[in-house]
Amino acid sequence: MRDMFRMIVVLSVLCGLSGFALSYLKMITAPRIEEQVLANVQGPAIKRVFPYAENDPIGERRRFEADGRAVMIFPVRSGGALVGVALEHSSKGYGGDVNIMVGFNLKDDTLAGIGATTLKETPGLGMRIAEPAFTGQFSGQKTPVQLSSGGGVIDGVSGATISSAGAVGAVNNAAAVYARLKKDILAAWAK
Amino acid sequence: MSVLKEFTKGLWKELPPFRLVLGLCPTLAVTNSASNGLGMGAAVIFVLVLSNMIISMVRHIIPAKVRIACFIVIAASLVVAVELLMQAYAYPLYERLGIFVPLIVVNCIILGRAEAFAAKNGVAASVADGLGMGLGFTMSLTFLGSIREVLGNGTWFGMAVMPESFEPLRIMVQAPGAFICLGLILAGMNMLNFRQARRRGEQAEALAQQQGCGSCGGCTACGAGARDAQAQ
Repeated sequence: MRDMFRMIVVLSVLCGLSGFALSYLKMITAPRIEEQVLANVQGPAIKRVFPYAENDPIGERRRFEADGRAVMIFPVRSGGALVGVALEHSSKGYGGDVNIMVGFNLKDDTLAGIGATTLKETPGLGMRIAEPAFTGQFSGQKTPVQLSSGGGVIDGVSGATISSAGAVGAVNNAAAVYARLKKDILAAWAK
Repeated sequence: MSVLKEFTKGLWKELPPFRLVLGLCPTLAVTNSASNGLGMGAAVIFVLVLSNMIISMVRHIIPAKVRIACFIVIAASLVVAVELLMQAYAYPLYERLGIFVPLIVVNCIILGRAEAFAAKNGVAASVADGLGMGLGFTMSLTFLGSIREVLGNGTWFGMAVMPESFEPLRIMVQAPGAFICLGLILAGMNMLNFRQARRRGEQAEALAQQQGCGSCGGCTACGAGARDAQAQ
């Protein structure tokens, strides 16, 4: 009986200590990790969507509120004027959330392009939604977009319907946020 | 003296991937370039040294029945710490190593050294053991990664080292290349030991026998079993 009690106490104390130490470490590394993810994942995705950006969209990002959820908006300037914005949104894929960076042209509200950021789809199959052959189809499209199987113009990756639908869903989610926030976005960067 | 011995045994005599043949999952999976091997090795050194240290410090408190669970909790906490630090300070490396960073938890070397060494020895000796084993592991991975990167990509730590006309053997940076390379290294190390033993005048056959079965000890058990069967 005493042995059992000791086992429980030792294991609980050990787990408690490790949980405490890790949550502390997570707290102090969180801002740096966010910065690293922005620089290494979202930065290149924005660059792919807006190759002509002349500013630093990461450095000029701003936080907005949409439906009680914080959204990060990345402004893109070219020739001194604000020409587009990029924002990231997600939707259910085959292996968890599919996160897509979606770029919008401010002039006519069409898609400037999309770039996959973090996703865990099946390698060689669902992961192909991150390739230009799929993502390239979105440039210039009006939102909301639809897969060709649903009467739209986007050809899904064959054999990866769920992943393709996830990407399309993420784009449409982003478009909804963009439509709601457009006025605020224009006002925020008007000055 | 003994601390030094604990340290150096991991560098050659008990070199983890090539001599103990432990920790093969990361050895085979992430060594497609020298820098990946080095990064993986550094993460393992960190976890191994600290887990050996902590385990040897608390070895008298931990009840024998739940020791494995305790070791895993300690190793897993350290691995998560490495994962967070790597994300914060070496993000590109974290992206390349991917799933193999969290998998350090189940790396045989960590639990193997905890159970076989740190749970029975003092703090200084355990740290030396962890450092030696970790360095040996890092050297092995970097060595294997270097061979594969040079042959499969014509570069070493990202620098071009082969002449222009060199046609990279793509298979070397893919999964089969890891097996081919590891097999050849193991064969080479066995040959080296064989030669050394013969030079010392020992019986080569005796050594070969010992190497194959020394760690197993199953032969005597089998022999006993056969005798029992005969008696019946």
